[in-house]
Amino acid sequence: MDLSRRRFLQLGGLSALGAVVFNGCDIPEVELQVQSSIDIPEDTVAGGELWYATLVNQGGAPEGIIVRVMEGRAKKVEGNPDYPMNRGKHSARSEGALQALYHPDRIDSPSHDGVAASWDDSIQALGAAVTTGKTLVITDPLRGQLGKVVSQFVASAGANHAQFEPLSRIVLKDALSQAFDQERTPHFDIKNAKCVLSIGADWLGTWVSPVSHSVEYGEFRDGGHDGEDRGYLIHAESRFSTTSASADRWIPIKPGTEGLLALGIAHVIVEKGLATGDVNKAFKGGASALSPFTPAVVADGTGLTEYLGNDSLKATHMIENAAVIFATNSPAIALGGDSAGAHTNGAFNLAAAYALNQLVGSVGVVGGIQFNPVFPLDVPQSAVGASLDDWKTTISDMNNGVYSTVIVRGADPVYGLPDHLGFKEALQKIGEVIVFTSIPNETSNGANWVLPEQSQLEMWGDDIPDPAPGYPVLGLQQPVVRPFKDARSFGDVILEVASSVGMNGTWALDMQDALRTAARELHKLNRGSVTATSFDDFWVGILQRGGWWDTSAAIGGTIYQGTPLDVSAYSNPEYLGGGKFHLLPFRSVALWEGQNSDLPWLQAAPDPTSSGVWQTWVEISRNDASELDISEGDILELTNNENKQQINVIAYPMPAIPDGVLGVPMGQGHSAGSGRYARDRGVNVLNILSAVQDKTTNAHAWAATTVTLRKTGNKTRMVKLEGEAATDQLEEWPVVLISNH
Amino acid sequence: MSSTGKIVIPIVIALTVGVIVLGAAFVGRAWFTLPFPVLGLGDPPVQPIEFPHASHVNIGGVDCVFCHRNVTSGLAATVPSVEQCMFCHKVIGQQAKQLDGISGEQGLLTVAGWDPKTMKATQPINWERVHRVPDHVKFNHEAHITFFTDPAYETSDRKAFDQPSQVCATCHGDVASMPAVKQVRDLKMQDCVDCHRDNGAPTDCTTCHY
Repeated sequence: MDLSRRRFLQLGGLSALGAVVFNGCDIPEVELQVQSSIDIPEDTVAGGELWYATLVNQGGAPEGIIVRVMEGRAKKVEGNPDYPMNRGKHSARSEGALQALYHPDRIDSPSHDGVAASWDDSIQALGAAVTTGKTLVITDPLRGQLGKVVSQFVASAGANHAQFEPLSRIVLKDALSQAFDQERTPHFDIKNAKCVLSIGADWLGTWVSPVSHSVEYGEFRDGGHDGEDRGYLIHAESRFSTTSASADRWIPIKPGTEGLLALGIAHVIVEKGLATGDVNKAFKGGASALSPFTPAVVADGTGLTEYLGNDSLKATHMIENAAVIFATNSPAIALGGDSAGAHTNGAFNLAAAYALNQLVGSVGVVGGIQFNPVFPLDVPQSAVGASLDDWKTTISDMNNGVYSTVIVRGADPVYGLPDHLGFKEALQKIGEVIVFTSIPNETSNGANWVLPEQSQLEMWGDDIPDPAPGYPVLGLQQPVVRPFKDARSFGDVILEVASSVGMNGTWALDMQDALRTAARELHKLNRGSVTATSFDDFWVGILQRGGWWDTSAAIGGTIYQGTPLDVSAYSNPEYLGGGKFHLLPFRSVALWEGQNSDLPWLQAAPDPTSSGVWQTWVEISRNDASELDISEGDILELTNNENKQQINVIAYPMPAIPDGVLGVPMGQGHSAGSGRYARDRGVNVLNILSAVQDKTTNAHAWAATTVTLRKTGNKTRMVKLEGEAATDQLEEWPVVLISNH
Repeated sequence: MSSTGKIVIPIVIALTVGVIVLGAAFVGRAWFTLPFPVLGLGDPPVQPIEFPHASHVNIGGVDCVFCHRNVTSGLAATVPSVEQCMFCHKVIGQQAKQLDGISGEQGLLTVAGWDPKTMKATQPINWERVHRVPDHVKFNHEAHITFFTDPAYETSDRKAFDQPSQVCATCHGDVASMPAVKQVRDLKMQDCVDCHRDNGAPTDCTTCHY
């Protein structure tokens, strides 16, 4: 074919048109792509938030919390404003529950002798273990449904149950029983009181229910616009604790003489005719029995005179003044606990403190001691750890082959019991050791079976607070997120074991089922904070509120009368250890008794007194430090000459601790098998304590150890929040008092 | 016509018709449903990062909505921004060398230009789109999620799903088990209309074409 010029142009034009047309039909590449932008566009929905109410126990009293959950992840913890105990406030420990949930050391799945195992195999092994020999079940003190389930399980299996807490409250329980004939702790109506006299109990820091106490303390101190109703706080303790620091009058006394101080105060009240209650109901023998305890005798006996520069007059006046303020600012509360009860005469010390309430008519009144009614469910409503004597017996039984299986949950007795008692060695003689824990600990290190327990935010549970706020309260714990790990709750597992091996009795399907069954009983009462026609509505209601409580069921002015205290039973404290210095261990507000050492947030939460973090230090008085040429950061060796135990701690000279007393925080000193943030950090002060006991309850007298002190010559820097400058008052810069005049 | 022509011409005609029929069938299949899985057609597109949905969903327990966070509230499901990826991967996988999906040459850190000093990404990620409907079709993710999860729309034959992420598999298949995401339903108009009819959803034109 001849290709003319015209023909060429026609074909060229057609080709160009075709190219344009076909290219235009093609899809631009960008439309076949979707782009992940670098930053989140501002208009992209970031997820909606949901708040769930639940309960969390990270040491101390369980706290009602609400948790912000976004996209299936728990993000933030706040106090539950509805929950009667903490009323919208919460502790740093509860905040730490978030870190426990996401902890990198959480155990993924069950394991047997270090090899991963299935839950089916684990439950089968548990069932076989509890049905073939004698079993010992060790738990933290349990109340509520879990307490009931464990009791039923232990009874059906013919096992023994030992409840463990490093600093047992058994002495407090005994003192309350003596003073008020009550098993449960009464409600201290602090918010309506005009004066609080606390002896030994750091109730604003770590004693019993510190968050609910602090809420009440806020109202106690709120005196209105003119300040006339502002409550007055007197605190007697051998250490400068959070409560000591908050007090209007801190009375530093020698450890173990708290009962003597209480008797001295009682003496003044009676002698000055200020007693509004019956002295014979408080003290056996009445006024005459108290006559030997004059302020001068007590000032010397408690070491107060010595602490005040051998100024006897000043010391005597301090005791008289405290007694008069306590007796004339009605209603007033006297309470005692913690280190005051951790002596050979501990039960007497606490009973003497509580007897003061009878003396000033504070029992069963607004602003005084108010008793809690029995909760309308058949579940354990009070629980404390076993005494040291009981643990010695238990360890002996373990050594003698009484038990073939030991199950541990919610406790770390290898860490919490002093090494020299030999619990760890006794545990090694047990055939099957089954430990439930979320994060590895000292006890799980030696276990045959390690079973991952759900975190606090993943499980079902409940609590009946002890003390309650004067009326029945049930706190509910519900999962706020789906479990991240192949973990189960202890209650669910033992219920499954009980069913699978055909144990006698009726068993709930799981903890949720057990709680729902209990809730049906509450629903039938048709009263309290949630009422509903249908049970399902009631159930949703109590989950939304975080529990159920009934303010109408308060027993108000009911007075329980205990046994008048036999003053003649007072004995001087006995110390063991053969040292010059009193060793005073104290709970860390964040790490508690070691339970929270795995959580960096709580490791980094500063101690309220020293602001120390991440370490174990020793509070030593400036005078003692000066005398021994000790400065901050010196490594000191503390030795108990009775059991030859030693620990090395960092010196922290401070102006507030009395001479001759060494304060050491608990919580550190975990071994290599623990979680990454807890292990090989600081020392465990519990290991150095002598196995001395309270004479009445046989509880561990953990404040009755004396030690010798030696400079090692090594030095390190103490990690703390406060600066290097001294924090005490400088003479050239006096405090400026603000006055209306 | 020669004898050779008598043999060759019908064969050529038959082959031509066969090719045309096969071609029509090939195009027709691709037009009305998914293409024949030959010559790489229907394979998942090659992505800049071999993103493993399986490990994120099955091991990490990450819910679909966690990353495709607009899916319950808007038209598009949206892919996550690099910033959102790095919320987790600032920690997870940074030290794990075997996870090439994060630290290798084709890994997230390289492709997104992650600067460890400023802790910021410097480049967006251009993913190859796997699912696409024509421009004249308006597909609203939020409406579909709501329809399948809200008990108000459930019937005696179909219970409402508990979670939005359970709905995703209806159209996208079991993404958690796919090494690389590919299209499993044709998502043509017939597919849409059939599903709407089966579930009692409206089939009016303006439902999707507006």
